[in-house]
Amino acid sequence: MKLRVRLFGDLRERAGWAERWLDGSSSPTPRQLWAALATDLGDPPTLPGRIRVAVNQQFAEPSTALSDGDEVAFLPPISGG
Amino acid sequence: MTVISVTLHNEPFNPLALLAGWEASLPGLTGELPAALASFVGRVRGRSTCGAPLAALELEHYPGMTEAQIRRCAHQAGLSHQALALRVAHRVGRAAPGEALVLVAAAADRRGPAQRACSELLETLKHEAPFWKKEWRADGTAIWLQGNTSL
Repeated sequence: MKLRVRLFGDLRERAGWAERWLDGSSSPTPRQLWAALATDLGDPPTLPGRIRVAVNQQFAEPSTALSDGDEVAFLPPISGG
Repeated sequence: MTVISVTLHNEPFNPLALLAGWEASLPGLTGELPAALASFVGRVRGRSTCGAPLAALELEHYPGMTEAQIRRCAHQAGLSHQALALRVAHRVGRAAPGEALVLVAAAADRRGPAQRACSELLETLKHEAPFWKKEWRADGTAIWLQGNTSL
């Protein structure tokens, strides 16, 4: 299962990349995907409460079941307006 | 049915000129010029959150989702307050102090719905539309803001 993973803001800068296609076969939810990414970020494997998740450009729960081709984004705290 | 207009701007924009153009278009959009119009303009501060001189504010967004979320927020504010039309313009990219960051405007039949729709839309988009702000300070350091300033 291929997933399009996107990072923004300080997450993007700390990881050193904005977008990647990753194999999500062993990460069927955003929460599990985060645990796999956390090493790149130097973060603990538990998804912090301040990070929101979007699947296919809509806010989603970290426990959402992912499908092949899904776009998964991890969003730091929003500061618009 | 609320008429919703959303634009993102990579370059500086004049919010009052946008507002004037939008108001002029309202009779064509809603059938007549609404009796009440409320608006808010937000600009880049000259100081960072810690009080240091600010060189620039960088605004990152999530292309596609950001516009869709603003539209969702506007749709809800329009439903909640019977707004006839709503307008949002938001800056993205690197903005200098004094430049416009956001324009929110609401047109309705009465002042209460116009003011409430404008206020609700501004607050919801600040929390539900994916934007991230990075402060570039005059000394060359930079920091990502973690959330919004208080109301």
